[in-house]
Amino acid sequence: MDPIKLTIDGKEVATTKGKNLIEVAAEIGIDIPHYCYHPKLSIAGNCRMCLVEIERMPKLQIACNTPVGEGMSVLTQSPKVLAIRKAVMEFLLVNHPVDCPICDQAGECWLQDYYMQHDLQGSRFQERKEHDRKREVFGPNVVFDGERCIKCTRCVRFFQEITRTNELAVVNRGDHSTIALFPDTVLDNPLSGNVVDICPVGALTDRDFRFKVRVWYLQKTPSICPGCSTGCNVSVETYQNRIARFKPRINEAVNSHWLCDEGRYCFHDLTGGERLNTPMIRQEGGLVPTTWDKALGAVLNGLRGAMPLAGILSGRNTNEEAFLFAKLMKRLSPDCALEVFYQERELSEVQKILMSPDRSPNFRGAREMGVSSNGGFEPLMRKLCESHFSGAYVVGEDLLGMDNDKDWIRQALQKLSFLVVQDIRMTETAQLAHVVLPSTHFGEKEGTYTNRNGRVQKLNVATIAPEGAMQDHEIFIRLLDAAGERVSYSTPAEIFDALANEVPAYRGLTYTAIGEQGIQSGDGQDSHDR
Amino acid sequence: MEKILLRNIDVPDSHTLAVYSSRGGYRPWEEVVKNITPERLIEEVKASGLRGRGGAGFPTGMKWSFVPKDSPKPKYMVCNADESEPGTFKDRLLIEKDPHAIIEGTLMAAYAIQSHTAFIYIRGELVFGANILERAVDEATQAGYIGKNILGSGYDVDVIVHRGAGAYICGEETALLSSLEGGRGWPKVKPPFPATHGLFGCPTVVNNVETLAALPWIIEHGAAAYAAIGTEKSKGTKLFSVSGHISKPGVYELEMGYPFMKFLQEDCGGVSNGRKLKGVIPGGGSMPVLRPDELEKVNLDYESVQAAGSLLGSGGVIVMDDATCMVRAAWNLARFFAHESCGQCSPCREGCHWMEKIFHRIEQGEGRKGDLELILNVSGNIMGNTICPFGDAAAMPAAAFIKKYREEFEEHIAQKRCTVRME
Repeated sequence: MDPIKLTIDGKEVATTKGKNLIEVAAEIGIDIPHYCYHPKLSIAGNCRMCLVEIERMPKLQIACNTPVGEGMSVLTQSPKVLAIRKAVMEFLLVNHPVDCPICDQAGECWLQDYYMQHDLQGSRFQERKEHDRKREVFGPNVVFDGERCIKCTRCVRFFQEITRTNELAVVNRGDHSTIALFPDTVLDNPLSGNVVDICPVGALTDRDFRFKVRVWYLQKTPSICPGCSTGCNVSVETYQNRIARFKPRINEAVNSHWLCDEGRYCFHDLTGGERLNTPMIRQEGGLVPTTWDKALGAVLNGLRGAMPLAGILSGRNTNEEAFLFAKLMKRLSPDCALEVFYQERELSEVQKILMSPDRSPNFRGAREMGVSSNGGFEPLMRKLCESHFSGAYVVGEDLLGMDNDKDWIRQALQKLSFLVVQDIRMTETAQLAHVVLPSTHFGEKEGTYTNRNGRVQKLNVATIAPEGAMQDHEIFIRLLDAAGERVSYSTPAEIFDALANEVPAYRGLTYTAIGEQGIQSGDGQDSHDR
Repeated sequence: MEKILLRNIDVPDSHTLAVYSSRGGYRPWEEVVKNITPERLIEEVKASGLRGRGGAGFPTGMKWSFVPKDSPKPKYMVCNADESEPGTFKDRLLIEKDPHAIIEGTLMAAYAIQSHTAFIYIRGELVFGANILERAVDEATQAGYIGKNILGSGYDVDVIVHRGAGAYICGEETALLSSLEGGRGWPKVKPPFPATHGLFGCPTVVNNVETLAALPWIIEHGAAAYAAIGTEKSKGTKLFSVSGHISKPGVYELEMGYPFMKFLQEDCGGVSNGRKLKGVIPGGGSMPVLRPDELEKVNLDYESVQAAGSLLGSGGVIVMDDATCMVRAAWNLARFFAHESCGQCSPCREGCHWMEKIFHRIEQGEGRKGDLELILNVSGNIMGNTICPFGDAAAMPAAAFIKKYREEFEEHIAQKRCTVRME
């Protein structure tokens, strides 16, 4: 990494060798417009939007393919550069339908943005436009509009270089060039949705999201994908208190620029369905609504009278919730069995690029908070089926939603003398409970997840929980209080700072230090390698 | 003038090894592979002043010297036989009539860069030529000029004839390499250059057929003899493909620096049917057209043609008489380039078709005020801003036709019809 100096628009820049002009200009806040260049893909150099003037070079040069050199003098705002940007914009729009009013990309389209920044003039093209395929379905998640495509080949390169699945190619020549699937191919690889993100225009759009919301109405909340323990950084984008889509946030320590399709669309299953909006208690004839005070009182009494006790926490519960849950359960019964819900599946090579085999994003963190009796989840379930327990507290998971052993588990749950289920919906498991507590999902809560590599990352409130539901951590605090353990903290931030004092791997960490990119806890070793 | 490139073509069965050998063929190769080091060979070719005959005129010896000697990767030699430039048919003649000269030159170039695999990439349409080349390679292999331990020298090289699929762009060297790699015939972004990152990412030299065919003569007669021919900066002889409204079309070999008008009037017999000359494209369809008044002082060498505002290019001389509609001629070329644009980079992909559509409209009598300025501006926006020289190749002739025959274009627009062919 040799240090070098160059000047861009008269500003001296100190940087290191090996970077290109787009990267280095960005370091000092100069945005060189570009379409085809993507930091994670090979250089294509085809859009010509990043042409800049370099001293002692007769022709304009593409910034993306120009490595910085000592003493280089670059102009990004010279009359020649400004003129070629207008020219390239005009070329790119020659055969573009300019159908922004019906295009899903409108509002986050690079053609629109750069038109406003660099062009702002009418096209001189008055000939017949070339036509191309409209709304061709590439796969379950991606749909293609050939007329909006600017042939930057980001999508083609993504499938060549990142997934190595090679579904797409450029076919035909000249202004008939277009992107196409290879014959008999479907774009259904586990990372296919990423090309919608990297497509700078409206050529590739998301079949799940499109036509749902105009993007300028979206509220964006930085958060963490609850799909698995990779902990991909996402922006949870909502409209009218509903999650409309996930977009990946860049985090080079975790997911780089990417998000898998399973994670991208997991919010449908995790947030959909009819929500519980009142606590319920079992009386003769079934579950009936009750007040929080009565419900929490019943939980405490019921669990105290149902030893031995088991506690099962969802892998989507935060560290703060896990910390309190462990505290609560151990207060009620020091030798209770506690585990985090955990199931693994086989992953393909492409899935392994981003996905973890589990579906428990905070599996590692929750165990570190003490939700672990060193037996593991499966042995606990076995014990449950063998009627080892008399009472159980199940948080955030539908145990009867598991594919295997459903009948065994149903019988075991029915035999319990007391079962509490805390969830967002009336699940099959909840229907067997003695008390049901309505709680919140990942999008409604603040807190932290610890991914499989020990990176602690922050969830933020993206949607407001329905009236009648209570935050999980609040439920646990009230139960602890009722059980005689008064805690001095109440917000997730306060709980985190308290747990950092108690849990060795988190010592020295603070809630404010986590930021939007997360912070490393423990040794950084992958929990799946142990 | 002694013929260098066309020395064999009139001999019956010149394409066979027997005839080629009987005229001294492969003796220079034997000399090179046995007695001349690669370094000396490069120096010799540098001293000869030989420049690339594909169009750009880059010094051949210098191109070879850019290949790194210490690279751990294999090196590749590629003979560019993808001749597709409009009005150019000189390489085809050599391929069909003197394939062994090309092979011998290819072997020397491979030896100079110490490559052990040489490809002859031939345009897909030239099936006849490809068959002849393949037979010639077989003959030369059986005679021991190609293969392992050639003539006891310890040097190995294979020669593989590869047929393209018939795209003009594959004559551009990096597109040719993409095609040869089995990919889409798209030019590569430079840098890096083929000399270090060429075929399959390995050091590669691409030379034109005519360039390579000159090598055996240069070795046989010495660099000084070759350098003695031609002008100060354009050495040796060059082939010219003459077509269009000319009495004696065909392929001519001329000493560099030969007067253009003398060539057209005396050697080629002047404009056909006694008509008047209206314009000449001197270097293949991608070069700017020249008016008769611009041609008077022009000699056929790189510098002189460039001074007149065009380029010698491939030496494809297209002659147009005074009955030629220049609007139609310009549209015809624009249509060719629009059809052949590979579509990779934005200015060429969109601009070539845009220009073609405007030219077409003018030709159809639907020209509008401002069309000419628009074409000039669009061609200017393409020029120099594309991945490969194709953009320039499409933009230059478009602009030149308008600049040089502006009144005719304006007349065409004003009258909404062709006024030339009606006369």
